[in-house]
Amino acid sequence: LTKYKLSTVATAILIILAATIKVGHATSFTASLDRDTISLGETATLSLSFQGAQPNNVPTPDVPGLQIVNSGTSQNVSFINGAMSATVTVTYSVTPQRTGKFVIPGMRADINGEVIISQPIELTVTQASAPTASAVNSGSEVAFMKLILPQQKVYAGETLAAEMQVYLRDDVQNFGNFEMVSQPSDGFVLGKSAQGDRFRTQVGNRVYTVFPISISVTVARTGDLSLGPFTADAVVVLPSQNQGGDPFFSQFFNQGQQKQVELTTEQVSAQALPLPDDNVPKDFNGAIGDYTMTVTAGPTNVTVGDPITLHVQISGRGSLDGIKMPDQSSWNDFKVFTPTAKTQTTDALGQEGTKTFEEIVTPQSAKLHELPEFSFSFFNPDDGQYHTLRQPPEQLVVQAGNATPLPTIAAAKSATPENQTPQDILPIKQEMGTLAEASGPLIAKPAFLAAQALPVIAFIAAFVWRKRTDSLANNPRLRRQRLVAQLVEMGIDDLKKFAAENNSEAFFTSLFRLLQEQMGERLDCPASSITEAVVDEKLAAHGAPEGVLTGLRELFQLCNQARYAPVRGSEELNSVAAKFEKTVGELQGLRI
Amino acid sequence: MRSQVYFAMRHLASSQKAPEDWRTPKASAKFDRAMAIARRLGLRQSSAAFMRVVLSVLLMAVLTENLYAAEVATDFSAASQLYAEGKYPEAANAYERILQSGVVSPNLLFDYGNAEFKAGSVGKAIAAFRDAELLAPRDSEIRANLGYVRSQVQGAAPAGSLWRDWLGQLTLNEWSLLTALALWLTFLLLTAKQFRPALAPRLRGATGFFVLLTILLGMATGVLAAEHYSQQTAVVVSDAVTRSGPFDDAQNTFAVHDGAELLVVDHHGDWVQVADGSGRTGWLQIKQVELIPGA
Repeated sequence: LTKYKLSTVATAILIILAATIKVGHATSFTASLDRDTISLGETATLSLSFQGAQPNNVPTPDVPGLQIVNSGTSQNVSFINGAMSATVTVTYSVTPQRTGKFVIPGMRADINGEVIISQPIELTVTQASAPTASAVNSGSEVAFMKLILPQQKVYAGETLAAEMQVYLRDDVQNFGNFEMVSQPSDGFVLGKSAQGDRFRTQVGNRVYTVFPISISVTVARTGDLSLGPFTADAVVVLPSQNQGGDPFFSQFFNQGQQKQVELTTEQVSAQALPLPDDNVPKDFNGAIGDYTMTVTAGPTNVTVGDPITLHVQISGRGSLDGIKMPDQSSWNDFKVFTPTAKTQTTDALGQEGTKTFEEIVTPQSAKLHELPEFSFSFFNPDDGQYHTLRQPPEQLVVQAGNATPLPTIAAAKSATPENQTPQDILPIKQEMGTLAEASGPLIAKPAFLAAQALPVIAFIAAFVWRKRTDSLANNPRLRRQRLVAQLVEMGIDDLKKFAAENNSEAFFTSLFRLLQEQMGERLDCPASSITEAVVDEKLAAHGAPEGVLTGLRELFQLCNQARYAPVRGSEELNSVAAKFEKTVGELQGLRI
Repeated sequence: MRSQVYFAMRHLASSQKAPEDWRTPKASAKFDRAMAIARRLGLRQSSAAFMRVVLSVLLMAVLTENLYAAEVATDFSAASQLYAEGKYPEAANAYERILQSGVVSPNLLFDYGNAEFKAGSVGKAIAAFRDAELLAPRDSEIRANLGYVRSQVQGAAPAGSLWRDWLGQLTLNEWSLLTALALWLTFLLLTAKQFRPALAPRLRGATGFFVLLTILLGMATGVLAAEHYSQQTAVVVSDAVTRSGPFDDAQNTFAVHDGAELLVVDHHGDWVQVADGSGRTGWLQIKQVELIPGA
């Protein structure tokens, strides 16, 4: 179906492509077959060619007795005398379903609004026929093929091996490209095939090499059945006819002459009988062939509920795939699990081998003392009778087990809030409720965990703040230090402002006060008691660097001078402010 | 519905005009109101354009969410209809498809469990009810159905314990939130004491209480969290036989029935090692069980 769709799509695409081409020739529509006579089983090719324009429809021929399937579309574009010509060709595979003479009627195609009808085509289908016995015996056949069914009386469901033999005459130098063309069968289902060892045989007055090919066939129904004729193509290499020269050398250097041969078997028939209705075992479940059975079980000393593994091996010849596990309807008080099956074949056709079932059973009662009898029945087509294989009961020791407690399960509560045993489950809920995304628990979400850190961080921050506040409250010197540092910071801004305003008096007044405050804080004494003399008396004694002492002295002197000569330039005041900032910075850094 | 979303996205990509063509009048009205507020706030054109984009994206998110919820609701109704018609396997498949889309609710799991039970899958029903119970432990209907389905399982019913039942009154998330709340209150009080030391004597009792409460709640959460991650349960979804090792050819050990609830001991590839109440252990393939977290 997919292939058909693809072909249809490809056809449509090509038709659309063809629609874009300007044509220089008249439109035409022709239908043709590659052969007018074929054998049953062969396939002919029907071609519908649309030239000059694309068709609005592609007719699909329908002839009873012929299976016509679209097999592809091709397009050919050519330029002839400057004019472009496009041809779309749709091909169909034509496979006859019976012999006879068929007519593919004329088909209508609408091309550019013009309806064109193709000519009817005749196809003759002949029955493929094997060479006659006289032709074979005369040795005129280079190669031929035979089909052999081992018996003409078979049973429905029976599996047997048909044999196809390919004969090659002794002068055939080589043989290849063997390809089966058709394998018609009526009432048989073909299975695997396998090539046997070749051998030589005398047919008429010639010697032939025989290649046997075994084919597994299964009888699908009752009644008259037929198999074949099988057809095949092959290429044989024969000695060249006109080679001349020395016969001795020619046997080494003769390259040979290839020849395509068509091989056809005869049709073989058989009659399929139904399985007899008499003496059908009760446990017969369709097994046909010749089998033996082996059953093993273990362990056989168990507790109620423990698993016992059964291995049932059915070996022999027949349709192994169709064999089912023997009936166990009598296995009461056993819990029987679904068995698994494995098939191992020992021949190439898959008709001989062993099918092994593995099954778990668990005894449900301590009263069990044996594994029940196992029986397996099959129909043997060789003797036309039913057979039953029996495995006698096997001793079994089953001990009563304690009630198996299950693990403690979360929230295993009573069945209902009222502790009553309900008769059935409660009905479904009509509302879906609040939907949530299926996800892990909150404790696994980083965001949730991070959120829990927030109150802890807040507490730590508050705790640190509290400690610092307390520390400040209990340390007046530290408090003064911070206050003075703040005062100096603001004072420097004032100094710069006064300098910009060229307000010398305010500048030096502020400078002097700042010097007093800063040195008073450093020396832990009242600011009003600070004079220039304190620099040498106390600050030097505390090991202040000489640079700081010098800077402070200069600043004090400038303040004293300003009382007498207050008018100074803005630039000079700025430099004094910078000097103060530097000196005070160094003073604040001193550890006193 | 998807075409609406697509249209809205394309609309945003092409311009910031109001989405007059959106087929949801409510959504369009919301958009217009938001834009009017933006204009009243005196936002300039560029700011208004930016606002328009932001609002459109937010609106898109809301719209998409609503559309998705509507789609899920439609599927839920269809599944419920199948259940009502007695098509239990089909209903179970329909509920399962919704769950596989990544959404969950206690009611959805409850209905799924019902459908599985009616379809004959006792193990899957128990797993669904247990999942539902984890989300809504105080839902009596879920507990009732879980109890009833458990009563249908061959073998002893799983035993509970008082303290575990008590803890199971709340979900792990609820315990986690309570613990978080107690933790926040505790540190709020501790922080308040830092700012108002004078209040410390009066807050001492409350602080102690919340510290203790936080510890207790934290322990409960910890126990449930440990169960969640380590006490996984395997609910058998069809009769099976455990193996002595995590491979197909290992020896059979013991049989377990559909609906049996076993403790998961270990994992190995596609196998889980389970233990029953008597201490027997065996390996089952993951496809033979439904795994349920411990809490």
